[in-house]
Amino acid sequence: MAMMTNFDPLLLAIATPLVAALILALGLSERWAAKLAYVGFGWPAVIALWCWWGYGCEPQQHGYAFLHRYSTGLDGLGISLKLGLNGISLPLFVLAGIVGFAAGLYAIRSQAARLKHYLMLLLIMQGGLMGVFASVDIFFFYFFHELALIPTFIMVGVWGTRRPTENGYAAMKMTIYLTLGAMLSLIGLIALYVKSGAESFDMIELRARIGTEGLLAHSQSHIFGLLLFGFGILVSLWPLHTWAPLGYGAAPSSAAMLHAGVLKKFGLYGLIQIAVPLLSAGVTARLTIPTTYIPNFLLPTAWHSGIGASWVTLLAVLAVVGNVLVIGLTTIAQRDLKQMIGYSSVMHMGYAFLGVATLSTVGLGGVVLLMVAHGLSVALLFLLATSIYHRTQTFDLEEMGGLAQHTPVLAAFFVAATFAGIGLPGFGNFWGELAIFVAAWPLSKVLTVLAVGGVVISAIYGLRAAAKVFFGQPSAEFAKVIAARPPQDLTWCEKIPAIILLAALLFLGFWPKSLSTPLDAALNARPVATSTAPAPATHR
Amino acid sequence: MAPAHLALLVLVLPLLSAAAIALFLRRQGVLASYVSVAAAAGILGCSSLLIFGGYRDFPASVEWLQLGRLTISLGVKFDDLAALMLFVVSFIGFLIHVFSLGYMSDDPARARYFAGLSVFMASMCGIVLADNLFMIFIFWELVGFSSYLLIGHWFERPSASAAAKKAFIVNRVGDFGFLLGILACYWLNDTVNLTELAAKGSAGTLVVSRAIPLLLFCGAVGKSAQLPLHVWLPDAMEGPTPVSALIHAATMVAAGIYMLCRIQVLMVPQALTVIMWVGTGTALYAALCAIAQRDIKKVLAYSTLSQLGFMVAAFGLGALKDHGGAIIAAGVGAAMFHLTTHAFFKALLFLGSGSVIHGCHHEQDIFKMGGLWRRMPVTFWTFTVGVAAIVGVPFLSGFYSKDAILYLALQKNHAVFGVLVFTAILTAFYMVRMWKIVFLGEARSDAAGHAHESGAVMTVPLLLLALGSICAGYGWAQPQAFRGVLTLIPQAHGEAHTIIFLVSLGILAVGAGAAWFLYRPAAEDSLQRKAPGLFALLASKLWIDEAYLYYVRKVQQRFALVLDFCDRVLLAGVIIRGTAGVVGMLSMGVRTLHSGSLHAYVYWFLLGVAFFWACAAGIF
Repeated sequence: MAMMTNFDPLLLAIATPLVAALILALGLSERWAAKLAYVGFGWPAVIALWCWWGYGCEPQQHGYAFLHRYSTGLDGLGISLKLGLNGISLPLFVLAGIVGFAAGLYAIRSQAARLKHYLMLLLIMQGGLMGVFASVDIFFFYFFHELALIPTFIMVGVWGTRRPTENGYAAMKMTIYLTLGAMLSLIGLIALYVKSGAESFDMIELRARIGTEGLLAHSQSHIFGLLLFGFGILVSLWPLHTWAPLGYGAAPSSAAMLHAGVLKKFGLYGLIQIAVPLLSAGVTARLTIPTTYIPNFLLPTAWHSGIGASWVTLLAVLAVVGNVLVIGLTTIAQRDLKQMIGYSSVMHMGYAFLGVATLSTVGLGGVVLLMVAHGLSVALLFLLATSIYHRTQTFDLEEMGGLAQHTPVLAAFFVAATFAGIGLPGFGNFWGELAIFVAAWPLSKVLTVLAVGGVVISAIYGLRAAAKVFFGQPSAEFAKVIAARPPQDLTWCEKIPAIILLAALLFLGFWPKSLSTPLDAALNARPVATSTAPAPATHR
Repeated sequence: MAPAHLALLVLVLPLLSAAAIALFLRRQGVLASYVSVAAAAGILGCSSLLIFGGYRDFPASVEWLQLGRLTISLGVKFDDLAALMLFVVSFIGFLIHVFSLGYMSDDPARARYFAGLSVFMASMCGIVLADNLFMIFIFWELVGFSSYLLIGHWFERPSASAAAKKAFIVNRVGDFGFLLGILACYWLNDTVNLTELAAKGSAGTLVVSRAIPLLLFCGAVGKSAQLPLHVWLPDAMEGPTPVSALIHAATMVAAGIYMLCRIQVLMVPQALTVIMWVGTGTALYAALCAIAQRDIKKVLAYSTLSQLGFMVAAFGLGALKDHGGAIIAAGVGAAMFHLTTHAFFKALLFLGSGSVIHGCHHEQDIFKMGGLWRRMPVTFWTFTVGVAAIVGVPFLSGFYSKDAILYLALQKNHAVFGVLVFTAILTAFYMVRMWKIVFLGEARSDAAGHAHESGAVMTVPLLLLALGSICAGYGWAQPQAFRGVLTLIPQAHGEAHTIIFLVSLGILAVGAGAAWFLYRPAAEDSLQRKAPGLFALLASKLWIDEAYLYYVRKVQQRFALVLDFCDRVLLAGVIIRGTAGVVGMLSMGVRTLHSGSLHAYVYWFLLGVAFFWACAAGIF
């Protein structure tokens, strides 16, 4: 690949949608806008797949392939646009490409009002998403996240699917929560920059610096706390999750697909790529939070035994008890299809957090696999939920029924997506969940038992939703809707994005090694969370 | 062709068939059914080559996923046990595919049905061939999925939709324990490969605990519908009858017993005792329920539950000294023997009932049938063979396999022996009841009056299965390919042999005789007339379904609503909006200070000066 050295696919993948958005903003006829949008969404997907295909043969530096650096004029501050992919970011980069392409195709052929502006915002989001996972520099990692986040708020507020006041409230709540989360993590990242003494936001340099100089254990602990809750809000860690069901319930489908499917993974990605390896001592350090005020019997056994009251235990307990069990059961009570998908997505993030808390290669690898598979399946579910809405004119599960008689293909896709979501083997989600369960056992048997219990809960709400929408006989309300306008089966505009997502899920389910091999190499390349960080040099 | 390729073909052929139907043949029902039947024939061919070609324990394993210390591989462990099970699955599976050609010939969604059957065949063969517990679990879940698809085939019926959902969720409850058992085994023994576990077992380095076998047994409780997770199987009769025959009688529900036999090395005595009593309890309970059923398929469903209980109990009875003095895994032998004979005669009975239902225009109430022996002779005679086999008429297959279990129980545990003998009497009772009411007497409805014999595509599988039900018990008819399992079957000799033989005859005489004299081929249940209290008790099935329903509706759903309330109102409403409200109030308060009136500002200024002065003077 020597002749390719000056060709940077990653920059191209980021720039294409952004440039397309800029051209749209400058004014372009509707007809050409759609054509340009195809390029803007299609090109990053092509590049992502090409990078995946060629990743194994690509020469690597510091574990990164496709490494390129561009000066930004802020080099003095240690900020430069450095792009590259390692085994952890590659799967997510591919995810962003595929889900972006599917969401884009769906949006281009949707009947949205002011389609051109909608596509412009979606293209900006797509550019940001590609940038998040391709950035090696933490500054740009953060910058691209914000770039993708802001269009989300606008799309929820303006193009939301609920009544205007509800859209406004949902957009405001999302904005406050996600900005707060991003702010906390930004403080953590700046603290990392300052405390490490690396004078650089470059992940490679930070890692080298911390590897040789070390970082004071209590700084590590504080920074990890900031990152954990900052990123935790962004990934809807219980009880900081209430923005998610509300926001996704209101978001237009392509925005929900991109946010729930891809952008939300930013926080987990940050934890795995930055926090866990760089702050290994802080992760497991005993917390000085006053647990003495809490009666002993209220604390889980994992708190007393094993690794004690560290961030990891806190994270694992919140994830399993809060996200998996409480939110899982809450999901059962949902009547609104889109809210239900939103809650189920929050529940599945519990598994991901549990995987992060295991700090092992198996667990972290499982999280990455789950992130990719969950991104694909939740995007598919949001897409199909909107398709269902177009046919039933409601999201209320109690007002549907018997749709499969009219739309067998839609029913088949929905059932497949539901089974993917509940972790059926053959879909990618299964591998992620299984690896996380395996890794969780040494952390805490009690938590593993509770987490595995979640598979029953997700089967209950998933199959219940499928049965209420598609099977049995239509409700009285829905019978009237059917009489007025018999529902048509999926059109090709809906089918093609759905096929893309489902095919990716099945591919991952049947051939997980295609992602797990580079992932395993990247996670093994450096020790994950060796509890003994090098002794702290000086207190800066 | 290398044996590993044959095994791969067994897995891939049905998957290809399912994929081809889903992608291209959705509207071509006839073509789809031929593709699926061809795949089943391919499986039968490949597996016959494997079974009778003398291939055993060949190496075949590829890595499927590798992360850190976790390796999950797709591998094959092909010993005599797997060969026997593969034979049952592929042979009966093929016959049922052929039968379905006739049974489903007028169904508009035939393509979906046959795609589901193909998915099932792939997943079931996966369980049989799997060489490690993770792989068993993967295919275990997939048979659950195909079962969901096929039970819910007529999804426009609310009852079918509910039954499919119930089956999958109840199985998931069992799988919850199963997966935990696998995790425990993985972390305690560092491997889940069956061959490695067996090697560790014989080397004495295996870590055994009570938790592992009991947790793994949870999987079998779900899949083989043992108490208390049996509730899904009777409901699963909502599916098309060939599905009930294949999945819910002959193969998938027996997978639990097969799995137990695969992990026999992990068993400990306490776990075996639990397994034994669960099986015995299920056998008795289901036989009692079967007496009060009116639906021909429900009778057979409870009968299946009861027979599965026999197999589980047999496995739980465990090892036995044979006459040479060596200890053999007699539980495995007896359970697998009964599994095989049961697969034949129960598939026969279900397909026979399918033929009856097809002939009677989808009438399933036995009291609306009658007189069918004249109108459906082939079905009648083959069904009679099935009934004779299950009730244990001497020299039919069921007689031998049930005797093996009873002999084992007699040697190991007299209480279990007593319960199983009583259950066997009940079995003879309810089977003869059904047989007499369905086939003898006069037609009691128009549907039964116009019943017609089914076509050759349905009767030929019946005849073949009847042949199997007769011969499967004879030693000379059993292929040497299954020696490894067949030698484990406990054989009664001498005095014990006489006792068992007499007990068997007694069972038959009491059970069948009582039913023969009690029931008349009439439009009402004789037992209900004569002992309404007893009948009502049996018909209630001890209110277990009602208890579950109460839990789901009144406990789980209400708890979920309370949590939803907490999430929406307390967390999102009071705490978060409340915090926002407090901040908002503060800012409103502060805003009133900035009124724009110069007078107000002057007073504030004076107050401020006074405050600082006071501070400086040390008053505060």
